Formats: sequence, structure tokens, C-alpha cells
Amino acid sequence: MTDVVAASKPAARRDRRRRGSRPARASWLAMALVLLVALGIGTFDTGGPSSPEDRAQALASTIRCPTCRSQSAADSDSPASREIRGEIRARIDAGQSDGEIRRYFSSRYGEAILLTPSSSGIAGAVWVLPVVALVLGGAGLGAAFWRWRRWAS
Amino acid sequence: MEGMLDDLDRPARRRVAPWVAGGIGLVLVLFVGVLATREPAQNRLTDSNLLGDVAPPIVGTTLDEDRFDLDRLRGRWVLVNFFATWCAPCRKEHPELVSFSRRHEQAGDAVVVSVAYGDEADDVRAYFDDNGGDWPVLVGDVDGVSLDYGVAGVPESYLVDPAGFVRAKVTGGVTSSGLDGILAELRGAGP
Repeated sequence: MTDVVAASKPAARRDRRRRGSRPARASWLAMALVLLVALGIGTFDTGGPSSPEDRAQALASTIRCPTCRSQSAADSDSPASREIRGEIRARIDAGQSDGEIRRYFSSRYGEAILLTPSSSGIAGAVWVLPVVALVLGGAGLGAAFWRWRRWAS
Repeated sequence: MEGMLDDLDRPARRRVAPWVAGGIGLVLVLFVGVLATREPAQNRLTDSNLLGDVAPPIVGTTLDEDRFDLDRLRGRWVLVNFFATWCAPCRKEHPELVSFSRRHEQAGDAVVVSVAYGDEADDVRAYFDDNGGDWPVLVGDVDGVSLDYGVAGVPESYLVDPAGFVRAKVTGGVTSSGLDGILAELRGAGP
């Protein structure tokens, strides 16, 4: 009987190690929860700029200054950027959506005028691919850890 | 032993090093020479999203306080020239525009229209007084026109055909003969 108990103790320890202790599991769960909440807020928070000025500023920061290098129309004080900011404001006042305003600029200057790529068409892959890579990488790491733990035990 | 080998290598290295240094120096001199002597790129045809589209409207007040509407020039080729008085390549191309305008005014087949970019009316008036040119120049009520045409810098010119379609975008300044060449090509290609 004592032998059985003695033999079962290391097995139980191994089993606990494999599954992780209760505090460790709790901390992993907490981390996963924080990650999910942060992702949810980042994805679904639609609380955009509050005023037309804020909206114009936010939009101008996504449009490249056509006469400068690596500067947005919001950051540059070139005549072209001033004109872009004025045009954005006029179009906001005329009731156009952010997408319509961005489409106007890309129709004149090409997609290169947009500092943030469009979320549709081929350009949409720029947004999707990092997420796919993250998920695949995480799954691969999880599978590798699981196999190593199995070999170790 | 290694010291002896180093001694044997040294004369060979001494022979090669001046040639390598001389070669690099020659390439650098040629490079600087080419950059310093070549003509700046003019009459450069550039891609634009507007090519083939109806020209965006230009309606405004000219330097002479006249109302201007691009649509009224249908039936003739129109060179829409974006310029600024503070832009050195614009000053360089101006006499070419004067020559082009004068010749085609007589022929009645093409006109020039200038749109001042980021400029003041008084500066533009003084610029034309000094440099000549009697075509319509827009200095007011043209906000947004440079964006409509996708102007990324000055000078930039757009050739609009008699039917009102944008047929060419020319950057880096123009020459009178260069414009004639582009016009001849476009006429040959048909509308």
C-alpha cells in the first residue's frame, strides 16, 4: 500500500507539472482575458474624433503631403498640405464620409497618397496578413511547446 | 614563415592598390561630371490618374479680373500650367510658354492657361509684367483645382484635348518645341 502511495506521488507531481499549478493557470487565464479585452476594444471601439476639426485632423494624418518626404498633410505646412486640409474640412462640412474623402485623394494622386492602406481589395491583405501570421505563429508555438512537454514527461 | 609570406604579398598589394583607388576616383569624377553637365529633365511625360478622363473644371477669376471657364475653350488644345512665382524651374520655362502661346495663338489651335499655386495676386501680376505672357492666369477662386488635377509640385502642365479630355501630364518644366512634339504625337494617336 505504501509502495502504491510512494509510486503515485511522483506521478501526481508530474501530472501537476504538466497541467501547471493553479496560480500559474490563473495567471495565464488572466493574461488571455486582458489580451482578448484589449483586442476587442481595439477592434470594435468606434468612438472616433468628436468634432469636425478632430476628424479633419485625423484624416489629414492619413494623407501623405504630395510635395514633402514622409510627412502627412497634418504635419506639413506646405501649400499643398494646407490645401489638402482645407479640402478635407470642406468635404466634411459637405457631409462626405472618411472613405469618400480618402477615395477622392487616391483618385487624383493614386493609392500612394494614402499613408494607411485601404482595407479593401488587395491592399486589405496588409491588414489581414499580420493577424494571420500571428495566429499561425501562436498555434505553431503552442504545438511545439505541447510536444516538448510530452517528450519531457 | 608567415612573416616571409606577408613580405612576398606586400609588393603585389602595392601594385594593385593604386589601380583600385584610381578606378574608384575615375568613376566618382565621371559621376560628378555627368550630374553637373546634364540638362535638367524637361518635357517629362508623367503618369496621372486623370489621363483619359474629362478635365476637372477650372472656373475662376483671371489676373485681368475676367471670369474664366475651361469648358469655354472646347475645340482647342489647352495647356493647363500650374506654376509659382517663387519656383525657379517655372521662371525658366516661362519664355518657352510665351513662345508656345504666341505661335499657337496665331494658328488658333492651342491656348495656355496658368494657375498660380500657393501665390499672391500682386506677386503674380508683377511676374507677368516682368516676363510677358497674355494668356488667362487664375489667381483667385481656384482653391481645390490643384488637388483636382493631382498637382504634386510646380511646374506641372496638363494637355487637354479639344474634346475636353486630359491627354498628357508634363513635369519638370516645358519647352516650346517639346510641347509641339507632344502635341504632334497626341494628334497622331487621335482622340
